[in-house]
Amino acid sequence: MRLKHMNPYLAGVLLGLTLLLTFFISGRGLGASGAVKKVLVAAVATAAPEHAAESAFYSKYSGVDKHPLRAWLVFEMLGVAIGGFLSGAIAGRLKFRNEHSPKITSKRRAVLAGIGGILFGFGSQLGRGCTSGSALTGMAVLSLQGFIAMMSIFGTAFIMAYFFRKNWI
Amino acid sequence: MGPLFPQEIISGNWNLFLAFIMGILFGFILEQAGFSSSRKLVGVFYGYDTVVLKVFLTAAVTAMLGLLYFSLFGWIDLSLVYVNPTYLWPTIVGGIIMGVGFIMGGYCPGTSLCASAIGKIDAMFFFGGIFIGIFFFAEGYPLVKHFYMSGFMGAPKAYELLGISGGVFALLVIIAAALMFWGGEWAEKKFPREEY
Amino acid sequence: MIEEIITSGRMNPEIDPLLHIWGWEISLYLYIGGLVAGILFFSALLVLLNKEDKFTFSVKMLPLSAPVLLGIGLLALFLDLSHKLYFWRLYTIIRLNSPMSWGAWTLMAIFPLSVLWCCIWLKDNFTTFKWPYTWLDALFETGKKYRKLIAWMLVGLSLILGMYTGILLSAFNARPFWNTSILGPLFLVSGLSTGAAAIILFSKNRQERRLFSKVDMALIGVELFFIIHLFMGFLAGVRVHIQAAELFLGGPYTAPFWIFVVSLGLILPALLEFLELKQFKIPHVIPAVMVLFGGLLLRIIVVSAGQASRWLY
Repeated sequence: MRLKHMNPYLAGVLLGLTLLLTFFISGRGLGASGAVKKVLVAAVATAAPEHAAESAFYSKYSGVDKHPLRAWLVFEMLGVAIGGFLSGAIAGRLKFRNEHSPKITSKRRAVLAGIGGILFGFGSQLGRGCTSGSALTGMAVLSLQGFIAMMSIFGTAFIMAYFFRKNWI
Repeated sequence: MGPLFPQEIISGNWNLFLAFIMGILFGFILEQAGFSSSRKLVGVFYGYDTVVLKVFLTAAVTAMLGLLYFSLFGWIDLSLVYVNPTYLWPTIVGGIIMGVGFIMGGYCPGTSLCASAIGKIDAMFFFGGIFIGIFFFAEGYPLVKHFYMSGFMGAPKAYELLGISGGVFALLVIIAAALMFWGGEWAEKKFPREEY
Repeated sequence: MIEEIITSGRMNPEIDPLLHIWGWEISLYLYIGGLVAGILFFSALLVLLNKEDKFTFSVKMLPLSAPVLLGIGLLALFLDLSHKLYFWRLYTIIRLNSPMSWGAWTLMAIFPLSVLWCCIWLKDNFTTFKWPYTWLDALFETGKKYRKLIAWMLVGLSLILGMYTGILLSAFNARPFWNTSILGPLFLVSGLSTGAAAIILFSKNRQERRLFSKVDMALIGVELFFIIHLFMGFLAGVRVHIQAAELFLGGPYTAPFWIFVVSLGLILPALLEFLELKQFKIPHVIPAVMVLFGGLLLRIIVVSAGQASRWLY
């Protein structure tokens, strides 16, 4: 059994309502890359505590009084994984597979995905948030930063699309 | 009345639990919309599938209008809602790097976790890559710190810059979104879409 | 000489304001006790229901793990003891009003019985297996003849064992969060549920997995009911009990308990099991592992929270 995807406009309204509810409850929007940062900070602080204490970056996010894993975004991202899994289970989409265009190899796809992740991770730190935390949430509160981030991310991807077209179509 | 947590109507610990619930809704809707497929996500840049554009803009407009109405009815105190501060240059450069990452990797952080949860292997590579990318940034932080702090403008709203009211600006956003939806529907008809 | 007058147990070190005595060892021991109780209970129950040839894995194979698991649990308990060389003293007395005495004697009885239970089924599990001595063979054949009798004893003892893992805490009246009689039934049901999850996790028989999915869902339902009652009972109680409950209703245990124990350890696996029964394609490993983890976390959190809850003064 494999169900179709939800109507995109309906999904958008539901996503918007979820975001609105998040603002109403927590006074902040949804995010994603921040959770990865917290997990990384926790890992570095455990593996190399001295290095983490000296570093200007890690020491911002860890300390005696606050554990980096006890963070809003970490719990939210845990929920994202659960929610995605549930939806995939209901829609019959639970399956290990490496999705790629038939024109490229599986290995190439994996390497590109990894590099894409590295760039996205780096960029999200420089830009103070990713598509969820900076662009989507930022736009919803009409923050200038949200609109700049959104145009910058999607504009660049749109321009670069031509150079990477063979990997997708 | 709202927002609940900043006014201490609910405790920080309930806030964490509710973060989990919000995350479930977020992940569920992302997956339902098809954001767990990289080929569907990048379709927006080639015109064969514009679901990203539709979902993303509809969500932003819904939440934006919701916040404006909630504020109008006095249900939420917007001054207590976090507004992302604007650091102009790092946001632009970071966005450019993320844009390249997007077209290469086919995901963004939230969607890659969501796709990993249903077993997409490419998404797992992407998600692993995010850790490495943030690690690079963390280790190189002293080098980029000066740039990271540049172009600070406070936390302005977009309409303040244009000198118009929030309501008018929201209307403009809605019109722009409607135009883009129209463009998206047109592109989907024009560009062939294969089964993936 | 400095004279010290001990007027209350609370003046002992590491007792007030937070108890710092029980760590992971006790949680693991309580968890394994419940798990073994579940495994043995279902095995014996199916024998009593004459289903031993239908559900061979849960009746004959899985109980082989019981003595090993009990050994690990007892090792964890032993590690926790301060006076390791004196543990045998528990066996010099029987005190009916001491849960520790009850537990010690139950373990004393259930451990050899579980070994006997394994031996009875060894030849069924491994067809090439032969006892080296004929008298051993004869002994276990006789045992097999009386399997119903042993099964009755196992059902009773496993229920006591599962119950005792909770009573052990609830009898400790100095800690308000533990001092509720619902902890015994709650841990028993949770133990049975983890036992069912172990069967789902390892059984190769689809019918068996389906049966235990249903059993597990029912047990999870009962468990949720107990958890709600636990908090309702506390909130309807005296001030210290209300404060103990508030550790979980806004206090530091809120997020871990409601996310990892209730959502991920109970509601979600029950939902996934339900979907699986409705023919959705879900790997059966996932809900089973979630229940097993949820059970362990329940013990860890209850043991930890109990030590953090305290009386007013």
